[in-house]
Amino acid sequence: MHKKELITIGNASEILGISIQTLRRWDESGRLTAHKTEGGQRRYVESEIQSLADGLIFELAHKWASKSTPPTLNSDVHCQDRSIFEGRLQRLNGAITRAGIEQNLTSLVITATGEIGNNSFDHNLGKWPDVPGVFFDYNIDDGIIVLADRGLGILATLHRVRPELEKHTDALRVAFTEIVTGRAPEKRGNGLKYIMKIAKMGMVGIKFQTGNALLEIDAGATDFKIIVANTFIKGTIAIIKFKTN
Amino acid sequence: MKIELIKFGNILSSRPAGKDAYSGFSSEISKITKDEVVEVDFSNITSFAPSWGDEFLSPLLNRFNDRLILTNTENSSVTLTLELLEETNGYKFNRG
Repeated sequence: MHKKELITIGNASEILGISIQTLRRWDESGRLTAHKTEGGQRRYVESEIQSLADGLIFELAHKWASKSTPPTLNSDVHCQDRSIFEGRLQRLNGAITRAGIEQNLTSLVITATGEIGNNSFDHNLGKWPDVPGVFFDYNIDDGIIVLADRGLGILATLHRVRPELEKHTDALRVAFTEIVTGRAPEKRGNGLKYIMKIAKMGMVGIKFQTGNALLEIDAGATDFKIIVANTFIKGTIAIIKFKTN
Repeated sequence: MKIELIKFGNILSSRPAGKDAYSGFSSEISKITKDEVVEVDFSNITSFAPSWGDEFLSPLLNRFNDRLILTNTENSSVTLTLELLEETNGYKFNRG
């Protein structure tokens, strides 16, 4: 929940994860204009900074997942192996609980996040094309969680058991809607179908891209859409949105 | 026998962790006598994922069938995961 309060440049710097010097430059260039106190000190509207932070989280995740030469990530957001991811999942649980989010929603959000992150490790272990691990960051105040990986992507992993699949859009639809079991060389968690169920219950909204296929389902929607995106993600990127009040 | 899942952690996520939990518990499972009821207690679980659940519960169900009883399954993630496992694997759990 946003507070309609003005915050200092130091606080804004902490929320955004960028330096005070950069914020001063953005103010001077007009990219992010600060309010000024009578004494000339910079102040920012907290809700605007939080919204900007959400955009920066996704922008960074997208850049990391899509660029041929990805930016180096801070260890706070880059989970290089599963144990680090699971440690951060516990931290997320603590943060959501402290924020007073209702227990049923907390359970489902944590489970959905765990399934997406663990899917990345399950399907890419020993096969990471370049950078191993998962991007994992969140903003509890605004109810968003962003995950991404530079793995093989859903089409390549599903192709082993469903060789008839040719398009990213078809693979994404299968992953979210069909039961894939049986003769698979590796067991399938069906975690994405679980997330689809949570979304249809009205608990979370989700955006999920792999290759050029982008799936969107709003919380409580009875149906979802898969479109061809303008950008290409070799692995996966996901945003989970949940209500914070 | 009563298996308290909270002893494996409050967030039960991922296939490898579910598989490890079952393997680690297999010596206890082998002590279960014929006709003994096996209760799996979900008390105090925060998050129960389908991946973990499939690796732990499916082999238990295969082995003990109707003698496997799941209790305190009210948590939303537990309820939904059990439904999904039943749907994808075509079996049915006994809930106590």
